[in-house]
Order: sequence, then structure tokens, then C-alpha cells
Amino acid sequence: MRRVPAVVLFAIGALTCVGLDLAYDGLVSWDRGSKFWLHILVVCAINVLGATSLNVVNGMAGQFSIGHAGFVGIGAYLGGAIVSNLALALKIPVAALKDNLSLGQSFLLLPVALVVVGLVCAAIGFVVGLPSLRLRGDYLAIVTLGFSEIVRLTVLGISADSATNPLTRAIASLGGSLGYRGPKVGEDYLGVPSVAGPFWTVGIAALAVFLALRLKRSGFGRALRAVREDEIAAAAVGVDPAKYKVTAFVLAAAGAGVAGALLAVQRDGPGIVGPANMKFDKSFEVITMVILGGSGSVSGAAIGAVLYTVIFYASEEALHQLAQAVPAFGSVDAAALRMTLFATALIVVMLVRTQGLFGERELFEKKADDGTPKPPSPSSDDATGTAKEALAS
Amino acid sequence: MRTRHPHRAPPDVRFSEPGSPLLAVENLEVRYGGIRALKGISLHVCRGEVVALIGSNGAGKTTTLRTLVRLVQPAAGTLRYAGEELTTIGTEQVIERGVSLVPEGRAIFPNLTVRENLELGAFLHRDKTTIAESLHDVEQLFPRLGERMAQEGGTLSGGEQQMLAIGRAMMGRPSLLLLDEPSLGIAPKLARQIFEAIRAIAAAGVTVLVVEQNTRLALEVASRGYVLRTGEIAREGSSKELLADPMVREAYLGA
Ligand SMILES: Nc1ncnc2c1ncn2[C@@H]1O[C@H](COP(=O)(O)OP(=O)(O)O)[C@@H](O)[C@H]1O
Ligand SMILES: [Mg+2]
Repeated sequence: MRRVPAVVLFAIGALTCVGLDLAYDGLVSWDRGSKFWLHILVVCAINVLGATSLNVVNGMAGQFSIGHAGFVGIGAYLGGAIVSNLALALKIPVAALKDNLSLGQSFLLLPVALVVVGLVCAAIGFVVGLPSLRLRGDYLAIVTLGFSEIVRLTVLGISADSATNPLTRAIASLGGSLGYRGPKVGEDYLGVPSVAGPFWTVGIAALAVFLALRLKRSGFGRALRAVREDEIAAAAVGVDPAKYKVTAFVLAAAGAGVAGALLAVQRDGPGIVGPANMKFDKSFEVITMVILGGSGSVSGAAIGAVLYTVIFYASEEALHQLAQAVPAFGSVDAAALRMTLFATALIVVMLVRTQGLFGERELFEKKADDGTPKPPSPSSDDATGTAKEALAS
Repeated sequence: MRTRHPHRAPPDVRFSEPGSPLLAVENLEVRYGGIRALKGISLHVCRGEVVALIGSNGAGKTTTLRTLVRLVQPAAGTLRYAGEELTTIGTEQVIERGVSLVPEGRAIFPNLTVRENLELGAFLHRDKTTIAESLHDVEQLFPRLGERMAQEGGTLSGGEQQMLAIGRAMMGRPSLLLLDEPSLGIAPKLARQIFEAIRAIAAAGVTVLVVEQNTRLALEVASRGYVLRTGEIAREGSSKELLADPMVREAYLGA
């Protein structure tokens, strides 16, 4: 079978994403009601990116990080700040910023922002990954949680009044509990522009899935999985656990950062980046996606993310409809309901299918032999029967 | 096992003639915090030899092997392998120079298939032909593994897992194979098979240092042995001498 060259695949993918992007605008102007569902597509894509990146560190390398939201949050603030300041510098009219920017304009703003965010988060991922060299399991998990909480509380804790030096002033400009609303122009905040439509979000998510699959199948991915299974054994075959664990953190952090940046500047986005992006709930969400789909499986993480996102919005919409029909439902807290729903789903998964939907397998991949007994072959009684002859040659 | 294929030959050990020491450990001392796990041991393994290192639990056997592949830092002493000092290089380089460790306790990769486990044994090898040929050799050595290539390592029986661990180490095409208690927790019949395989590996020219608590089994296959007791070499000699030694008989052979 001849394989389609990567360049062709890439071109088809890029064109599809451009098509999606234009279709988004077209559909929304034709029927405003479609915006709800189209927006879910964008969020799905961002979550796919978040989940596939977490899967590298949690699923493949087996280093349990529960601080993914910390990287997402840093990416969101940094991406939001770069894009809005760049828009200001490029003199894109303020009025236009309140609306969605065009695909053409997005090319002026996003590439720089995403590359910077990716690099910065990779560097932070390196630092956060260092404790993995000495700690494992729950201890490491607590360090990652500590990291995301430190980032969140730093943003929350420094207000404009308490800012005395350039560093604290920069942090204070992120808006604390009110959230970041772009640079201040006169009395008004510019807002964070909505630039990332399906072209960027779906495109980057697809690219991430593609790269993660390549990674998993490469020697690098196999080494990561070896480290996850047994560090001493991995070291004994020449896989340096330290190198692979830290690299997994770096890759995951870069992916999370880019996901955060896209979240901040998504089309029809909120125009504001809030500290809630970094709360533990958000880390928990991504962990749920990965575990539902099957820890270690790239397609599992992606499908887990899509399922989670669709159920997330569908349950919200269902509750909304229900509340209109039966007023008593109006007092139900959608967020709490969702948390209960997903926590229950996780418990069921743990009880019924610990490995998630896919286990470590990929979509369309054959299941590994489960080791059920086969008729013994003549040689298996004497395992080393032929060994001497084989080796003496 | 050694063929004319240019990439197949194990790392160069020309300058160590048969019978000359391939590995020489001098006054090796290892500490874990305040504990002296090895109190300055000396031992050597000549090229082509099978040497046993015996001793009860906690004697320092695992520590010795881990130190040899640089997974544990020595506090003092020298480790010379094929004329080169190992304390100045890292684990990766030690493996590249032809030392393979079969870790204690069936340390396989349970969720990876048998094939993936074996291929990881050749992690530092780049040449596809070499890897394929090594795989073929391992399948010849352990036909049971060949039948279970697509099966996950964790689904194998204990004995098969030990075969997998040894097979994986052999994928690195070692000159010196270090085995850490290959018979641990394995049915006697299978343990015997595993030692037959070790004999076959040695017959093919690989030098072997095997750590065991099963003294009788180890000394049957080895030509020489060392007895390690709380971090010190208590006895050394030919297998025959050790099997006849009253102290060894009482403490390690239950006679
Ligand atoms: N990682 C470690 N940290 C602290 N002490 C250790 C460690 N590994 C081994 N030891 C101690 O070193 C001594 C030798 O252990 P080990 O080499 O595993 O012995 P053996 O393999 O002969 O059973 C024991 O007293 C053990 O408790
Ligand atoms: Mg031991």
C-alpha cells in the first residue's frame, strides 16, 4: 500500500481548516443559532490539545501531574497579553477588536503569540518537571498541584495598590480576581481579541494528535512508556529516566500553554482571561478526559476530550431547557451537577473499565494478545532445547 | 551468536585475551546515607567465565550489580571493564560498551508487548538488521517468547517473564551479562531451564556474573564464586571448593 506523502496530508488538512474557518463565519451570519454549536467545535479542539498534551506526561510517561491547569493558565494570560498588545501596536481598530477578527488578521497576531507561549511554558515545564527526578506518585502530584495553585494565587493576590516594583505591577496588570481584559486605553480596557477560529484551534489540535501519535510510535515514545513501567529496567537498557521524564513535562507544558492561549483568544470568546482557568477543577477536567479515553492512548485522549466537551455543553443546554419547562430546576447549579456527573462517570470507569475506553490502544489498532492459553507448541516444554545449537553456530 | 555482520559483534574487547580479567572490581565501597552496603569488596571476572556471587538477603549483591552499571554511585574503589575505568562514565556508555543487567525481580515492562520489551533491549542500537538478528537469536534461545511476541509482558508466567528479562538483556548484544537472582520466585523446573539458558549464553562466548541465593544452582553453572556477607567478601574460590566449604555448606546449602 502506498502511503500518502505527509506534505499532501498537511496541505489537505490546512485547506480543510481554512474551509472550516470560513464556514464558521458563513453559518453564523446565516443563522445566529448555529453559533452555540460551532463554538463547541472550537472548545472541543482546544480541549483535545489540552488532553493530548497531558496524556504525554500522565499517560505515556506515567508521571501523574494534577497541575495541568497551571500551564493552561500561564498560556492563557501570556497569550491574551501578547495578542491584545500586538493588536494595539498594529493599530487594529479598537471597535473591531470587540468583534471576531478575520482569518487574515489572525495571521498577524497568533503565530508570534503561540510560539512565545509554547517556548515560555516549555521552560516552566522543565522546572516543574525537575522534582519528578526525586519524587514519584502522590508526592509528585502534590508538587504539580502546588505549582498551579502558586500561579493562580500569585495572580489573585497582587492588586494594583500593593504593586510596588515592575514585576508586581506586571502581575497586577493581569487584573487579579477581575481577570485580564487587555491593555488599558484611556479609561477603558481594550479586551482580549477573539482571533482563533477553527483554522487555528482545529488545525493545531489535529497537528497535536498527529505529532503525539508519531511520538508514541517512535523510539522516544517507547522509552517514555518503559520509564512509566519500570525505571530501573528502563535505565538498565540505556533509557535515562531523568531525561525522558523531564522532556515529557516540557512537551506537555508547551501543549497546555498553547491550549491556554487559544482558549484566551478563541473566536466568540469572553474577551477576558480569568484566574478560574487555573483552578484545580480545570486540571481535574483534563485528567477526566484522559482517563475516560484511556490513559496512554492518543486517540483515546482526543475522543475523551470531545466526549467531555459535548456532554459538558449538552448537559448545560438540557438543564437550561428543563428549567424553562419546570421552574423548580432553575435553582440547580449546572457546575455542581456536571462535577457530580463526571465524578460518577470516573467511578464507573474505575470499577468497570479501569483502562478507559481504549486502554493504551489507538483507534483502529489491533488489540494486543491477551495471553489466553494457546495449544502448546512442541518446543515449549523444553524452552532451551534449541538454545545450544542456536548459539553455538 | 557472533557472525560476520559488521554491526553484530559486541563491543571491542580484543585487548582482553581469553582468561584475562574482563571485569576487575577493587575495594568497592557503597554507602546509602549512613549505611555501608559494600565495605570495600574486590572481585574479578575473566573473559568467558561464569562467576557466581552468592549471599543471603541484604548482603549487597544487588548493590554490587547496580554499581557496575552506574545506577548507584560508589563511595570508593575502582571498576575496570575491558581495561577502562567505569566510574568515569554513565550508565548509557557502560551499556554501549557491552554490559547488560537483568535486574532483580523480573523487571520487565508489563504493559508492553513481548516484542516491544525485547526491542527496548536494543534501545542503544541503531542498526535495524542487527536488531532483527538479535531478535532472531533470542527467539532461538527462548522459543516460548517467540510464540508470545504480541502478548503483553505482564500476562506471561513468572518463568517466562524472567526469560523475557534475560532475552531483553541479550538484545543489547552484551560481552558481559549481569544477572540478579534469575531464579527468584520461580518454580524449580523453570529455574533449571533458565540456568540451562545461561549456560548456553556462556557457551556462545558471553561472560556472565550471576547473583543468586540459590547457591547450589548457581555453583552448578558457575566455575568460580564469591560469597558476600553483609557487604564483605567472606569466601571465594572455585565452585568445587565452595560446595565443599563447611561454612558455605552450613549457611547457604542447608547441609
Ligand atoms: N536504595 C537503598 N537505600 C538505602 N539502603 C539500601 C538501598 N538499597 C539497598 N539498601 C541496603 O543495602 C544493603 C544491601 O542491599 P542489597 O544490595 O539489595 O542486598 P541483596 O541484593 O544482597 O539482597 C541492605 O542492608 C539494604 O537494606
Ligand atoms: Mg538483591
